[in-house]
Amino acid sequence: MSNSKKYWKGIEELQETPEFVKLQQNEFAEELPVDKFLGDESIVDTSTNRRDFLKFLGFSVTAASLAACETPVRKAIPYLNKPEEITPGVANYYASTYWDGNDFAGVLVKTREGRPIKVDGNELCSITKGGSHARVQASVLSLYDSARIKGAMMNGKESDWKAVDAEVSSKLASIAAAGGAVRILTSSLISPSMKSAIAEFSVKYPTTQVITYDTISYKGIADANLASFGKSFIPTYNFDKADFIVGIGCDFLANWLSPVEHARQYAATRKLNKDEKKMSRHVQIESLLTVTGSNADKRIAVKPSQLGLSVVNLYNKLTGSSLPSKSLDTKDAAIAELAKELNAAKGKALVVCGSNDANIQQVVNAINTHLGAYGSTINKDVEDYTRQGNDAAVNALVAEMAAGKVGALLIHNVNPVYTLPNGAAFKDALSKVSLSVSFADRVDETAAACKIVAPDHHYLESWTDANPRKGHYALGQPTINPLFGTRQVLESLLTWAGNTTNAHDYISKVWETTVYPSSTGFLSFNDFWFRSLHDGVMASAAAASVVAEPVVSALPESIKITTTAIPAPVAATVINGDISGAASAIVAKAGKASGIELVVYQKTGAGVGNQANNPWLQELPDPITKVTWDNYVLMNPEEMKEKGFNTLMGQEQMADVVEVKSGSATATLPVVAQPGLPKGVVAIALGYGRTAAGKTANGIGANAFPFVSFTEGTYNYIASGVTVSESKDKYQIAATQTHHTMMGREIVKEATLAEYKKDSKAGNEDLLYATNLTTTKIEGKATAKELDLWGSFENKNHFWNMAIDLNSCIGCGSCVISCTAENNVPVVGKDEVRRSREMHWMRIDRYYSSDMNEEVAEKEGVGAIDKFLKMEVPSSADTIEVVFQPVMCQHCNHAPCETVCPVLATTHSLEGLNQMTYNRCIGTRYCANNCPYKVRRFNWFRYNENVEFDFNMYDDLGKMVLNPDVTVRSRGVMEKCSMCVQRIQAGKLEAKKNSSRPKDGSIKTACQQACPTNAITFGDFNDQQSEVRKAWNNERKYQLLEEVGTQPSVFYLTKIRNKSANEA
Amino acid sequence: MHLFRSRILSVLAVFFAVVFSADTAIAQDGAKLFKGNCASCHKPTDQKLVGPGLKGVRSRWTDEAKLISWVKNSTEFLKTGDAYANKLFEDYGKSPMPAQAISDAEIIAIIDWADKGGDAPAAAPAGGDGKGSDVAAESGPADSSTYLYVLLGVGILLLILIRVLATVKTSLESLVDEKNGVVNEPKPVLGPLESFKFWASQNKKIVAVAGLLIFIWVLKLGWNGLMGIGVYQGYAPEQPIKFSHEIHAGQNKIACVYCHSGVEKSKHANIPSANVCMNCHAYIQEGATTGKEEIQKIYTALDYNPETRAYGPNKKPIKWIRVHNLPDHVYFNHSQHVTVGKIECKQCHGAVDSMAVVRQDSPLTMGWCIDCHRQTEVDYKDNKYYEELHKQFVNDPNYKKGDKFTIGKIGGLECSKCHY
Repeated sequence: MSNSKKYWKGIEELQETPEFVKLQQNEFAEELPVDKFLGDESIVDTSTNRRDFLKFLGFSVTAASLAACETPVRKAIPYLNKPEEITPGVANYYASTYWDGNDFAGVLVKTREGRPIKVDGNELCSITKGGSHARVQASVLSLYDSARIKGAMMNGKESDWKAVDAEVSSKLASIAAAGGAVRILTSSLISPSMKSAIAEFSVKYPTTQVITYDTISYKGIADANLASFGKSFIPTYNFDKADFIVGIGCDFLANWLSPVEHARQYAATRKLNKDEKKMSRHVQIESLLTVTGSNADKRIAVKPSQLGLSVVNLYNKLTGSSLPSKSLDTKDAAIAELAKELNAAKGKALVVCGSNDANIQQVVNAINTHLGAYGSTINKDVEDYTRQGNDAAVNALVAEMAAGKVGALLIHNVNPVYTLPNGAAFKDALSKVSLSVSFADRVDETAAACKIVAPDHHYLESWTDANPRKGHYALGQPTINPLFGTRQVLESLLTWAGNTTNAHDYISKVWETTVYPSSTGFLSFNDFWFRSLHDGVMASAAAASVVAEPVVSALPESIKITTTAIPAPVAATVINGDISGAASAIVAKAGKASGIELVVYQKTGAGVGNQANNPWLQELPDPITKVTWDNYVLMNPEEMKEKGFNTLMGQEQMADVVEVKSGSATATLPVVAQPGLPKGVVAIALGYGRTAAGKTANGIGANAFPFVSFTEGTYNYIASGVTVSESKDKYQIAATQTHHTMMGREIVKEATLAEYKKDSKAGNEDLLYATNLTTTKIEGKATAKELDLWGSFENKNHFWNMAIDLNSCIGCGSCVISCTAENNVPVVGKDEVRRSREMHWMRIDRYYSSDMNEEVAEKEGVGAIDKFLKMEVPSSADTIEVVFQPVMCQHCNHAPCETVCPVLATTHSLEGLNQMTYNRCIGTRYCANNCPYKVRRFNWFRYNENVEFDFNMYDDLGKMVLNPDVTVRSRGVMEKCSMCVQRIQAGKLEAKKNSSRPKDGSIKTACQQACPTNAITFGDFNDQQSEVRKAWNNERKYQLLEEVGTQPSVFYLTKIRNKSANEA
Repeated sequence: MHLFRSRILSVLAVFFAVVFSADTAIAQDGAKLFKGNCASCHKPTDQKLVGPGLKGVRSRWTDEAKLISWVKNSTEFLKTGDAYANKLFEDYGKSPMPAQAISDAEIIAIIDWADKGGDAPAAAPAGGDGKGSDVAAESGPADSSTYLYVLLGVGILLLILIRVLATVKTSLESLVDEKNGVVNEPKPVLGPLESFKFWASQNKKIVAVAGLLIFIWVLKLGWNGLMGIGVYQGYAPEQPIKFSHEIHAGQNKIACVYCHSGVEKSKHANIPSANVCMNCHAYIQEGATTGKEEIQKIYTALDYNPETRAYGPNKKPIKWIRVHNLPDHVYFNHSQHVTVGKIECKQCHGAVDSMAVVRQDSPLTMGWCIDCHRQTEVDYKDNKYYEELHKQFVNDPNYKKGDKFTIGKIGGLECSKCHY
């Protein structure tokens, strides 16, 4: 039957040409473009063929499975001599104090097995009262920064402390002997011990002078107060006592002076309940849309140059006087209206201004005096000591250095080469100083130019004390042994002054002689000391009893420390300054403004850039733009369209790169749309463009500090006459939110105060849905809950619920960092964020208002497509409103994710939690696709110990910050907010051990704990008295996307805006 | 052996005591008195403990009377200004020897006994008195393996026997055939494989059943192998120090919590730090089984000199090998089980007090955890947390009398109780 016929493939086979015979041996007749798809030429050249490869594969699989059968040997190394207070597995908490020259906070540090893993606010600290800033939250990771210097350095090389001490001491001695100038350039000194040590230092080296330099200057306020009250000082503010708050170019909720404190006070005036339908009114006059402006009831957008004019106009309208002024055209009416409202709120009003122009601040002082704010909403008696910088002195120092008149310069807690507008000049001048010492923790821009680097401990390794404001004394204690061969600045200065006392003994000595005498109710200093150490703040039987102001050990007359002097009583209302003169100066200055104007500002994450190498902060989305890992030029979207710039964000979108020039300063950055920013204004964030901060930060963005100008004795953060020139370059921006409006949906529910007063359910009316289902017994319209197809759920024991008050949330983002720290959330880097693969378990959605809505469309007859296109466009700068909404896993009781998981990796607990079990997950991602809230995060890669993700989870040092109670997730599994189940379990266990039920408030989620405004309430719904139950009964309560029928355990309280009648 | 020897010794001792009365009696007394009064601070040899070793103490003192009054009340005696006494006081950290309420004769008895260097059992007063425990511990596993070898040997012998008998049978048959004149055609000689094939072709049913059984057996083997991955029940690694729980927890009845002090308050039971070892081993410098060798390892770790009783700076941590390893994605808390659940240690860890080398007694698989959570009833009495839960449980409309209030019923089987 065999077929003897033969078919040829072609004429070549028949003829058996040599080429054919040769090619016949190959599997494929044509050459395969292997090198193209492999992309690696070395692979093509290997001698391993496919069969060998399969053999190797088979062998390695077998070997691996055999190896897996062997018990892995794990070592367990106990203490040799266990400290009494440590029980491995149980966290210890230490009160301490954070001060980096920009942010002050009393903190509570959580340590596990001797390593700090979380920093939260200290509830005993009267300033922050338990809240914390994102930068403070993230500071624990900065401790484990591998870019930190490992020991003392001399001339750019590693050295040892002995050599450094010998060199510094001998040089200082010879400089002082020759009468050469010794200068200490430092951030505001708030540590009594540091002051005392510097005093000792200057006794030894009498030519010492201290120059105080605040990276962000508040000198304008101090100067204005000098003119107004005859005394240079910064007051403290009581936003909680204000019924009417006006912020003028002042981001007091996120970055100005004492933001955490302000946020807490501010939110306190805006808590609403059925019985007390009363809240403060907040009007913000500003250029850049800030976090504070976003929360305002009314926002008046002006150009930076007009801020001063609006202050003067406001004063004129308030008092009826006629200081020299200039019209603001379209804004005049709004200012007049504001003046009327303010006058009505006299005695309970507060005006704050972020300008560093003393003239403007002087008029602001006059306004506050007129409003009776002093003694009520502004406390002149409790002075803030955290900003004592003297800008002119810093500028004079640069000149002095350049002239070669400075013998020795010690730089503490500041990075002038990077942060000074004339940083380059400072660097040049530094080379003329024969002994330059930096105390920086890394070889930063300034330290690199210094001859000697005497690295300071991280604050979590140090004994510190602080006197941030009058009558407030705080202590900081180490929570870990120093990781590297660093030494505390205090000890370095003392050593060079010939005093070998260690920091602890020295501080306790200073406290014994200065702080202790003013305390009451303690038997001995030891009692007082240990109690203060425990509390983190000066222990006092009654806080108010602190009357006597401790006097820091007497300094020699010759030593000028540019700090606030011991205060003399200040007359309450006397305005001595020449307001009229100030007003003319303001008008003159505003008149000079021309062309495009520029604002440089602080971002919540980056701040002034001192923690730039902290990947948590880099990946924290900016509260307003939601952009991570970059700074950029912000511009009004309409203006961008006019110039042909791309206003869209997204994975496929490229931002246009522009070059911004002002004087000698330039920055080449992508341009990003910022609704709310007036046309003709651009803004750039500080804290980027670091060149020597470490691998994470270096080369990100551009430095905006050169745009800061030094005028009339102060640093100013606005500029005019800026040129913005287009370049052909494109740049990819990584934003976590690329769509900015709610498209007419009720995601964030809102009402005005007037509406709310009338009806507690204003803006939160029950949504009814038409039903014609024959299966339901409901006729007509019904609520989503009634139309439920699911069975009911029962949570008998606990029912964990979370309430988020949108009226309190200011969108600052400290909860996001707190969550990251608590739950070992990995950092994924810019490229992954750009692909929407960020891993944050919670996000804060920010929505801009749009002028288009269903009603308008109907009235104006706009077509369906046009309507939605217009809904995408945020309102104009004058009318824009912003809402924030934190969104984490909503822990739906009818969870869509649970029903689609093929392996039951996500299930529901009897306590109402939506559980995610990593070891069961096989990574189908069905759950994420079925989640209406988009809160599930997929591990596309292994983010730990992976060189591709060279952040904190890659290096051994950075891994020390991980929370040992939470699993580090692996590649291919889904993860999401667990409602801090580890804390719930710990809280329950504690209760069981005490034979009790968990007390309401004893279990706090990480986000709740970090929130400075107490916007988040968490608790057991089954506890009738719990706060969360009370919130549930609040008429403002609603559930996100209620119509989906998921019945979440997380619910929101509507946002109420205190709008005046004509605004609503 | 030990047991036997000590019995002989005691019989001998009784015998000698009866025959040679006085001297042995005092020696006996000396040993007893020493144990009762001196052993916590002194050794009968010339080694130091808290105080000096007692061997040759008589020769160190100029006058026996002085020695006696020193023993009776050292503080009083110091006041006499005796040079040697004061030197002793200085040498031993200025801590006076406590006054002893014993008679002169008894002191002399002790000194006499100590001068002979004491006797063996007294040398390790608190180290446990052997009783051959180490031998027993080692013979356990040895027994089971010899048993196996014996079985194997018997099996081989039996096989040989069968073979021999079969050969005998064949030759006998051929003999019978030969006798009866039956001429057998020589059978075709088949190889073993071919003969098996031939046999198999004749008995297909048996082959099929046997094949199926073998297949199932192989499957079962594979299944067991796979289920055993990551299960290390019986894992008993050799530790850097041959620490015996049998001696510490078994014979000396030291409570588990004394060393594993975290167990009631932490998720970890905690391996004791070396300073806990020193609570006893500052005094017990020699053990019954390994002598000084293993205890010396603690001293090396702490850089401790038992002679001078001083700690040095060169400390080295002890790297124990973890026996009970849970995967990283499991959260387990000891205090929940021990303090709240009031579970005995041995329920999971087995009879640790009889383990010379600690081994993992339980499989530590999730099934094992779940089984316990399903079966164990919650002791809700006297715990307000659970009382509340129990009330809810009983008041449930679905509740039937006799329903057990188990951990599983109150959410103890849920994923995020252990996985987060």
